[in-house]
Amino acid sequence: MYSGEFNGASLFAGGGFIPSQATSAPSSSFPISKDRNVRTLLPMTVKQINDISSNDESSAYGDGVDSNTVTIVGLVCDIQDKEPQFVLLVDDGTGQVECTRWAHERMEFNEVNQIVRGMYVRVYGHLKSLQDKRSLNAYSMRPVTDFNEITSHFIECIYVHMYNTKLRGGIITQPQMTNSTINTPSKDFQAIPSNQNSIDGRMSIDQIVLNFLRRPECLAINNGIHCNDIAIQLNLPIDKLMEVLEYLNENSLVYTVDEVHYKSAVNA
Amino acid sequence: MDTSNPAVFVNGSLLRMYVGRRVRAVIQAIQPDAGGVTGKTTDDHQLVVKGSPPPVRLTNFVEIIGIADSDRSIRAEMWTNFGDTFDTQNYNQLCQLANGEFKHLFI
Repeated sequence: MYSGEFNGASLFAGGGFIPSQATSAPSSSFPISKDRNVRTLLPMTVKQINDISSNDESSAYGDGVDSNTVTIVGLVCDIQDKEPQFVLLVDDGTGQVECTRWAHERMEFNEVNQIVRGMYVRVYGHLKSLQDKRSLNAYSMRPVTDFNEITSHFIECIYVHMYNTKLRGGIITQPQMTNSTINTPSKDFQAIPSNQNSIDGRMSIDQIVLNFLRRPECLAINNGIHCNDIAIQLNLPIDKLMEVLEYLNENSLVYTVDEVHYKSAVNA
Repeated sequence: MDTSNPAVFVNGSLLRMYVGRRVRAVIQAIQPDAGGVTGKTTDDHQLVVKGSPPPVRLTNFVEIIGIADSDRSIRAEMWTNFGDTFDTQNYNQLCQLANGEFKHLFI
């Protein structure tokens, strides 16, 4: 497979995928993920990666978000060269994880060769789980040159964690989060549903309400869930919730028998 | 870094909570001292870093990873140059968050 020079076809061998003529070389050097299940990229700490429950359906289900593509930032403790496979042991201060990078093209080799032991790197990859041991199948890695990226990455981990757990309301995977949800004023996240009028903000709340109503325990209730209960469960203001429910009702995604109880029109 | 011990983000005020444990901190303006170097944490506390720095020029900001000796010193295992510009305020906020309500994401 390795031809020693950039060969667009080899990147997509096995798939009927033709690279665009307009694609510039640097961006083509990152092999496109063939995993069709990838929908989101989550910044995570290695501790979060290791804490992902192995009982969930997919191999990576963190904070209620189904994704297996993550990004981490950490120190390279060890590099094993088993060309074309390179295994890096990355420690981000919260734990260690093995990152495997396969290199078949010159640009991929160049990417790996810039990384040395003791260096901070940013890794993007797919989570793999083997007998409860997590590892990353890296598709991109690069040295960190501006160390503010380290601070930024961890703050982003915190932000995304908060977004996925608090805004999705109720889907809390860690018991500690429950306590901090009670103790900490979540003004910032309550501000998002009420102040944000952009389409993106509205769609995410619609999806949150829909996902809630599609839960098995909600579907099991014949007459639907009272809108007040939905508002309490999802920590949404009632007027905002009613707006969302009306929208979903108009689009036949939910239905109501009495304008008060709502049920998903689609079975999960 | 040790294979199994996490290193907690600390500033000067948080260091006392982790005496004897592995910590990481960013220090500014290292001055050579007897037995180590002295610097300033991201919350303006003075800190003594024990151990030998690497044989390269230390930049203005250096990350120290090691064992907290006392509430004012760290026995360094790793030194990483963080350059001559670094946002200490952001890092300080991160230290507080990582030791506060989001501790479960880190240790």
